[in-house]
Formats: sequence, structure tokens, C-alpha cells
Amino acid sequence: MDATTAPHRIPPEMPQYGEANHIFELMQNLLEQLLIQQPKDPIPFMIKHLQRDSDYVPKIVILGPPASGKTTIAMWLGKHLNSNLLSVESLIAKEYSSLAADARTHYQKFQTLPDVLLVRLLQERLREEDCIRRGWILDGIPETREQALLIQTLGVSPRHVIVLSAPDTVLIERNLGKRIDPQTGEIYHTTFDWPPESEIQDRLIAPAGISEGETARRLLEYHRNMVRILPSYPKIVKVITADQPCVDVFYQALTYVQTVHRSNAPFTPRVLLCGPVGSGKSLQAALLAQKYGLVNVCCGQLLKEAVADKSKYGEMIRPFFEKETAVPSYIIMKVLGQRLDQQDCVERGWVLHGFPRDRDQACLMDSMGYKPNRVFFLNVPFDSIIERLTLRRTDPVTGERSHLMYKPPPTMEIQARLLQSPKDSEEQIRLRMELFYRNSAELQEFYRQAITLNGDQDPYTVFEYIESGVINPLPKKVPGLRAKEYPPGEQS
Amino acid sequence: MEANSSREIEARNYLEKHRIMELLTYLTSALLFFRPEKPREYLIPILEQLRTAKVSGVAFPFFMDNSNIAAMFQMLDSSNKGSISFIQYKEALKTLGLCTADEVLKDDGHGITCEKFMYEVNKKTQEICGKTKGKDSESYRSAAELLLLH
Repeated sequence: MDATTAPHRIPPEMPQYGEANHIFELMQNLLEQLLIQQPKDPIPFMIKHLQRDSDYVPKIVILGPPASGKTTIAMWLGKHLNSNLLSVESLIAKEYSSLAADARTHYQKFQTLPDVLLVRLLQERLREEDCIRRGWILDGIPETREQALLIQTLGVSPRHVIVLSAPDTVLIERNLGKRIDPQTGEIYHTTFDWPPESEIQDRLIAPAGISEGETARRLLEYHRNMVRILPSYPKIVKVITADQPCVDVFYQALTYVQTVHRSNAPFTPRVLLCGPVGSGKSLQAALLAQKYGLVNVCCGQLLKEAVADKSKYGEMIRPFFEKETAVPSYIIMKVLGQRLDQQDCVERGWVLHGFPRDRDQACLMDSMGYKPNRVFFLNVPFDSIIERLTLRRTDPVTGERSHLMYKPPPTMEIQARLLQSPKDSEEQIRLRMELFYRNSAELQEFYRQAITLNGDQDPYTVFEYIESGVINPLPKKVPGLRAKEYPPGEQS
Repeated sequence: MEANSSREIEARNYLEKHRIMELLTYLTSALLFFRPEKPREYLIPILEQLRTAKVSGVAFPFFMDNSNIAAMFQMLDSSNKGSISFIQYKEALKTLGLCTADEVLKDDGHGITCEKFMYEVNKKTQEICGKTKGKDSESYRSAAELLLLH
């Protein structure tokens, strides 16, 4: 077997770099745009695309029945994400466009727009510089399946589609209370969203077409169309129930829009589990290792193995074990580094727990080049930890471990002879837990993209949360977002 | 159905005509090898160079030069007998992106020696340079010759 057909040793810096800079997605977006637009001169096109750097601008479609609050949500999202809001009205009202003028005359005569004309208007608008640079939010477009297909053939595809849904009775009632401010175009409601200033109150008018019959007719048409539009966007639809306060709908929509969809990028998980003693780190690590084939690296275990093997590092560690003091970080790092550099860890990925315990250790690990790409903090309240650990017992004859509450021993005979490890006494546990919490704030600051989980649930629930954290890409924060202020422009 | 497949065929032809996949593979390899801090800013000058190379025939930095080709040959010829088998030769050309999977190459029964390997690789690279659309593919080819450091 010659060197070119043997498995390649890829230096681990390459996949780490690829993941950190999202190279796969970069190339995928580039290729997508090349295939959709098929420019005559691909190289200048690629240069322009790279310079624009608009891969992650918002491309959102908001659909929903009349009176669901689409326009309100769309406007708030537009302000928050600093993006352009496009609706049928705004497209028709455009100046300096012959297409828009045609559309206006058509709309005045027939009250509707032919699909082709609407889609061409949309295409024209989306080609403008500000839509390319800041993204777009479509409010209520596409209205029918034909429009959806036409938009697709143009190569316009949204990244997130939000569908608002609510029971028809709620919507009909809601629509009766709809009021519009003719000056600003903002939508208010007699019951849910009444403006405080009396001058706005005075000038509000009820828009046309909000009677019960009218709303019912529009709802019927909406349902007929929506069923056929949804299959066009198979994986990117999120249905949010509109039968809740506007602010909640907005928050759900915003969180969804900030999630990044899974891509086909190659990904080797390098998971770090942090948590106080008894939070379930070893169990979760074992589950992860079993299901995804990762290598389970338990730091304490590694050190004990080194001592037992009487290796060079083992000899260095043994005096610390004998004196029962903490092993210094640089020795741990050496042993750990040796393990993480082995081929199976590099290829399959690893799950690490038990190290680092504080900020200095984390910095040391980072500087040696072992950067985890998913970090989880398991939070468990003190009482649960006490319950989990103080009831642990070991059978001295068989070596089997049991738990008086979760996995009681099968017979009374066995129970009589069970022993408790001295490390599981309450004071010991309290000491170790306090040690962890002293350092955890710094650790959380160091690992900024860490995910915090409630560890006080049954192991398989916690495992599911960890799984979804590992598999889904980390949410991408839109630049310039002010997280605490919502909805924009309103004083709470 | 018909319309879908014809657009797909159109798209594939476009990719082949402009050799997009090879270009993207080259860019990705460059990024992963050099690992610049800002990938986009790194890629833009490379593409600019390519653009001017096509237009003006100025030399374009290739990934492999003659010493690389010789090193590759030595890797293939692990038992040092001085020649490689025809199958190895075909695989090597595929890895370099110089021949497609179904191209038929003639097998003259003897092994491929190092000189023949280098000669074939250079010839194919120049053929490809000649095929890509440039204002002046002649001058581009001769510029590429200069660069394949003899």
C-alpha cells in the first residue's frame, strides 16, 4: 500500500480552522450563488460576493392569516435586525419604477395583482443594494403556491419562514378591534394594544374589511392557499401560535431567526462537560461516547491510569496522590495532551470532563491548542447532589455499585453488607461543590458560547438536551443586536 | 420534469465550462493550508490575481511545481523500482484534477517512469490552461510554462 492510498494524517489544526471560520458554509454559499445566477464571468462575480459578505443577512418570510399580527411582528423584526420590510403595499407604492406604476393601475382597477407582476416587482426590489446588504423580510408574500414557485425559480430562497397560526374564532374577534393610525401606519387594537397618547387615539380609524363576514371569507382563502405553500419550504418553517401576547410571539420569532440551520459541514465534536461533583458528567459522557463514537476522556481516570501504569508521568503524579493534594496543572495538561493527540481522539472527537476546573487551567488548555467546540455547564441544586451522592453504595463482594434510591440492591442480604465511600460524605461533597462554584463564574466567562443546562432531571432528558446542543450549530448573534431591549421603540 | 432536468444539465455544463469545482477545491485547500485570520480577505486577492492572469497572460501561482510532482511520484513508487503502474498513474492524475473519471488513457504496457509522469502532468496542465477562456490563451499558456519551473 503506498502513501497516497493509506489513511491521511490530517493535522488537527485544519478541521479546527475550518469549523471556526465556517469555511464549508462559505464555499457552499458561493457555489449556490454561482449556480443560481450563472454569471458569464465567474471570477469578478465571486470577488464581489466575497466582498459583500452578506451570507448571514436576514432572509425571512412571515406568513399568517389575517389579524394574526404579521405586519406588527414583521415591523418589529425589521427594526431590531435593521433589515428591509417588503409587503405587497410597499412594493406597489415604490417610486421611480415603471413596473410599480403598472401595478398601481392594475390594483386600482381590480384590487388584486397578477402573480407574475408581483413577482417581477419583488425581483426588482430584491436586486437593490440595500436589500442585498441588509437582507429582507417578506410580510405576507407569497400568497399563493404559484407565487411561491415563481419566487423559487428566480433563485430567491428565504432562510427562515415563520408561520403564525391561531384558531379562526380568535382571529375573527381580534380583527373587529383593529385600528390603524393613518399617519404612521402603525396598527393598534381596541383591547390588546391601545395607544396611551390621546392624540393618537383620536385619529385612529377602523380599516375597511374587518367585519366578521369579510374576515371569515379571507380566512377561508388563506387556509386554502397556505396548505399548498408550506411544502415549498420543507425544513425552514417554524409555526408560532399567534394566540398569545405580541411580545411573546416576537421573542419566539427573534430566537428562531437567530438560529443557524444545520449544514453538511464535516464536524468532529469536541465536547467539554462542566459541573459540580454529582451533576452527572461521567454518565452523560458515557452516553455521548456510546451513541456518537466519541472518546470518553475522564481526567481523573487518566491520572489514575498513569499512576497504575507506572509511566513517566505516573511517577510524577504519585506523590500528589499519596499526599492527597491536587496535582499541578502542568502535569495534568501533559498527560491529557498525550491522550488527546492520539489518532482516535483526533479522528472521532472527544468528550472531556473533570478538567479544566478554573480559569487558569482553561487558559492553559486553550494555549496548548485543545479547544472544545461545545461546552456544557450542568446545573444541579445542592440538595439533589446530596441525594445523588450520599446514597451511593458499593458491594464489597461483587464490586457492583448501587444507589439506595435510584438503583436499590436486589436483596436484603446484599444491602446489609453495602459500604459507603468516605468521599461521599456530606462535608466532603459540600467542600468540593463550593470549590467548583467559586471558579465556575470565571469558567463561564472564558467559554462564552457555553450552553447551560438544568442537570436536575432524569439522565435521558439531560442527554437529549446535550445531544441537541452538540448537533445543532451554535446560534449566530446578529451584529448590533441589543438583547435586552424589546420590542424596539416601546417603553416597558 | 423535463424543465427540471434541463436546468440541472445547464447547471452542470456551467460548472464544467468554467471549472468551478476545481477552483473551489483549490481555494478551500489554500485556506486550510495557510489558515489566514480573515478568510474572505485572503481569498479576494487570489481571485484578483486569477482575473488578471486570464486577461493579461501574467503568470498564476500554481499549487504544484516540478519538485512537488517528483515528490508525488516518489510517494507512489514506494518500492523504488523507478516506474509506477498504469492504475496508480490514472489515480494520481485524478487527484490532481487533471483528468476526469471516465477519460480513457492509453496503456502502453510498460510502467510510467518519473520523466514520463512529469511530462504528462505538465502537458495536461498546459492543455487545461489553454482551454480556459482568456483573452489571449496563447500568452497565458506560455506564461504558465514559465511558471512550471523547469
